[in-house]
Amino acid sequence: MKTKYLKEWENELNICIRCAYCFEGCPVFKQLSWEADGPRGKAVLAYGLLSGEVEPTKYLADKIFQCSFCRDCVERCSANVSIPDILTAARADLVNAGFKYDAHLDLLDKIKRTGNIFGREIHPPIQGGETPVLLGCRFLERADDAKRYLEILRRLGIKPKVVDETCCGMPFGVLGYKDELKAQQDKFRKKFPYKEFICMCTTCAFFIGKNYPDLKPKYIIEEVAKRLPYYNPKKLGLKATYHDPCNLARGMGMVDEPREILKQIGVDLIELPTKGKGAECCGGGGGLLVSDGPLAERLAERRMDQALGRGVDILATLCPTCEFNIGNAAQRGGGKLKVVNLLDLVWEALR
Amino acid sequence: MKEALIKDLKKIVSEENIRDNPADLYVYGSDASVHEALPWVVVRPKTIEEVQRIMRYANAELIPVIPRGAGSSTSGHTTPIDGGIVLDMKQMNRILEIRLQDVLCRVEPGVVDDDLNRALKPYGFFWPPAPASSRIATIGGEIGANTSGLRSVKYGATRDSVLGMKVVLANGDLVNLGANTRVSTAGYQLEKLMVGSEGTLGIVVEATLKVVPLPKFRCLGIANFNKLEEAGETISEIMASGSSPSMLELMDNIGITAVNKNLSLGLPDVAAIILFEADGKVKEAVDYEMEGMKRICEKHNGFGIQMSYDAKERTRIYTGRKKLFASLSRYKEGIICTDLADDMAVPNSKVAECAEKIHEIAERNNVIMSVYGHCGSGVIHTKIMMDVRKKEQWEDARRVVEELYDYVDKIGGVTSGEHGIALSKAPSWKKARNDLLPVMRAIKKALDPNNILNPHKLQDAPDDWVTATKLRYLVRG
Ligand SMILES: Cc1cc2nc3c(=O)[nH]c(=O)nc-3n(C[C@H](O)[C@H](O)[C@H](O)COP(=O)(O)OP(=O)(O)OC[C@H]3O[C@@H](n4cnc5c(N)ncnc54)[C@H](O)[C@@H]3O)c2cc1C
Ligand code: SF4
Ligand code: SF4
Repeated sequence: MKTKYLKEWENELNICIRCAYCFEGCPVFKQLSWEADGPRGKAVLAYGLLSGEVEPTKYLADKIFQCSFCRDCVERCSANVSIPDILTAARADLVNAGFKYDAHLDLLDKIKRTGNIFGREIHPPIQGGETPVLLGCRFLERADDAKRYLEILRRLGIKPKVVDETCCGMPFGVLGYKDELKAQQDKFRKKFPYKEFICMCTTCAFFIGKNYPDLKPKYIIEEVAKRLPYYNPKKLGLKATYHDPCNLARGMGMVDEPREILKQIGVDLIELPTKGKGAECCGGGGGLLVSDGPLAERLAERRMDQALGRGVDILATLCPTCEFNIGNAAQRGGGKLKVVNLLDLVWEALR
Repeated sequence: MKEALIKDLKKIVSEENIRDNPADLYVYGSDASVHEALPWVVVRPKTIEEVQRIMRYANAELIPVIPRGAGSSTSGHTTPIDGGIVLDMKQMNRILEIRLQDVLCRVEPGVVDDDLNRALKPYGFFWPPAPASSRIATIGGEIGANTSGLRSVKYGATRDSVLGMKVVLANGDLVNLGANTRVSTAGYQLEKLMVGSEGTLGIVVEATLKVVPLPKFRCLGIANFNKLEEAGETISEIMASGSSPSMLELMDNIGITAVNKNLSLGLPDVAAIILFEADGKVKEAVDYEMEGMKRICEKHNGFGIQMSYDAKERTRIYTGRKKLFASLSRYKEGIICTDLADDMAVPNSKVAECAEKIHEIAERNNVIMSVYGHCGSGVIHTKIMMDVRKKEQWEDARRVVEELYDYVDKIGGVTSGEHGIALSKAPSWKKARNDLLPVMRAIKKALDPNNILNPHKLQDAPDDWVTATKLRYLVRG
């Protein structure tokens, strides 16, 4: 197999000392528990592809795609090796070698046709303010929620500018369609020609920050945390837990901001057993929802059980995919847990 | 043959606990060492009976069996050099009993060190070996490698805290070794023999471990040195002074630079740092120990000495220490940290001389070596840092390993103080302890006459570690 992308990672794969420290918190390894399911095992497989010592097979490709890109392994790695980046390269080489999944192609086709992951024409609530705000596919589809969150910004003194947008290309990158990512990035730049802007979605903010070196996205919560104290929010008097989205806590290092906000709006925060940079993943990232839906669901159910085990019935989070995945788990679990976006709590405190 | 093997194994363990896909075999073919070789199949037993049946079967069919915990050992311990069955023991991971009235606990071999310590903490006790790898190291692996660590200078190695164990022998028989008491003179202490046997004598399926009360006070000191030699002399004098450090660590400039670069630890850029710690139930006693060690540091020109009871600060420094090994790979672009010649132990009085010698040998042979380690227990960690892609660097490494161990032997040290022998240290160790080999071979023959348990390791390992197996790196030229 040609390893156009993995080749660039040989040095990092050598730097990995194969210590297995990254086993410790990998949500996929915890569920499946064979070493090839853990981060070190996946790095070894990537090395095998690079050296030609293992054949690229569907079985192996499944392993490479069974990862939620939660970055727990990156956080624990003694050598600062980024397994998700290595897997992104491995996925791209596997795709180029013909390991394509129908579910992935279907998703990417939707983006190519309509500019969003839902595959239908959706237009954002256009607004003509000063500060560009990128909604991202998920909030594009949740127009009412997006309008509320834009209103939060307005009440906090920001005049949001919303234009017709297109997907930032994250699914192309994450699912290994690197060659096509470039085309989507060009489309994105054309439709959304701003250097500095606010992102409503954690995943877009993280992906753009990493894959568009010249752009400076700011995640919405940074602004909210900074401004909220000056706008006298109400105290809600609620008890809730908070799930740290991987891209936010480990990816962008924002652990304190959401907690400060919850404190300001009078939410009694009951922490989950794992939190902050050590928080367990809900399973929604890295394309796992399309690569191995049942596994992603099991991970979300674990998170739901942990919340219920803490005696709370509200779980707040920020990433729309976490909201979606844990929210679905909560519905399957009989609706005992209510999953909300933290911004909805902010809205309650501001209105 | 392989089909028959899988079919037979399915009669013993459920299908979901057997893997023979080439991708899985490739993953289980390597660990934290430089070696690589493929097993034929990986099996995850869940019960003692399953282990017994697998061993009976493998013994009858003459199939090699390699027990494996986290696979974090560093010298090729779990490399299936002759193929065979890898027994992944991580599913046998129950803490069976914490029996404080007898100051012990009973665990299955797949229990992870940190998990055991988390369970013991509420009772005010701990399991002492404390390797840097405690977050993933299993008790079975710790027994297999006689693991020790940061605090072994006071609390000893795994062997010192193992009271007994259940072991499945090569023929499938289950034996109960050791006792539930602190002392025992009832026959050969075979439980101690099992510790450090690197999976070559039996499969540990349960262990009875002595636990130790957690100290109430812990104080960490850091002293800087402008000469590595003076740091080495300090260590020797601390140990000779009758002090009782709970940790006594050395880190040279290469190590300091690497952790600073990788973890932004902000350690001073000096020739060497000594970390010294004392613990105990009474603060005055801890203060007394710390003051004594501080005075010795000062006597040998240690400076910038800081001492703190702050747990957060301690965690920050320990994190750096625990991640040092991997950080070394970030020391210099293109230079990779390999786990070779990594844990010799030398008499305390020789630590300083040995540290200097290591740098000299490295320089002469075109590699970089860091010197750090639990020097209070005499353990000096080094790593060979080199361009692993170049064939000639492996020749350099071969020379370094040989020269260094010849020197260690000459000054009365041992090839391995901590990680074990397995493959990459075997040639040097065999050369140094020629007299031991017939005895060890006789023991192996008595317990494993068909040579199926982790074969061709230790005394039976090949004489050239570089060619003993495929190397796990892509080597050119
Ligand atoms: C970054 C890093 C830091 C480390 N730090 C230290 C340290 O500070 N101190 C130290 O001593 N070591 C250290 N090690 C080495 C290693 O982590 C330890 O030896 C550890 O205890 C091995 O545990 P494991 O579960 O990974 O065992 P494995 O590597 O899986 O196995 C170790 C040996 O035990 C045998 N074995 C495993 N399970 C059983 C069983 N049930 N019955 C019989 N035999 C069995 C195996 O066959 C093998 O020979 C370090 C390694 C790394 C990579
Ligand atoms: S990114 Fe998360 S799921 Fe993927 S290997 Fe790392 S820890 Fe496991
Ligand atoms: S923790 Fe880092 S160095 Fe260790 S095995 Fe995982 S990726 Fe490799």
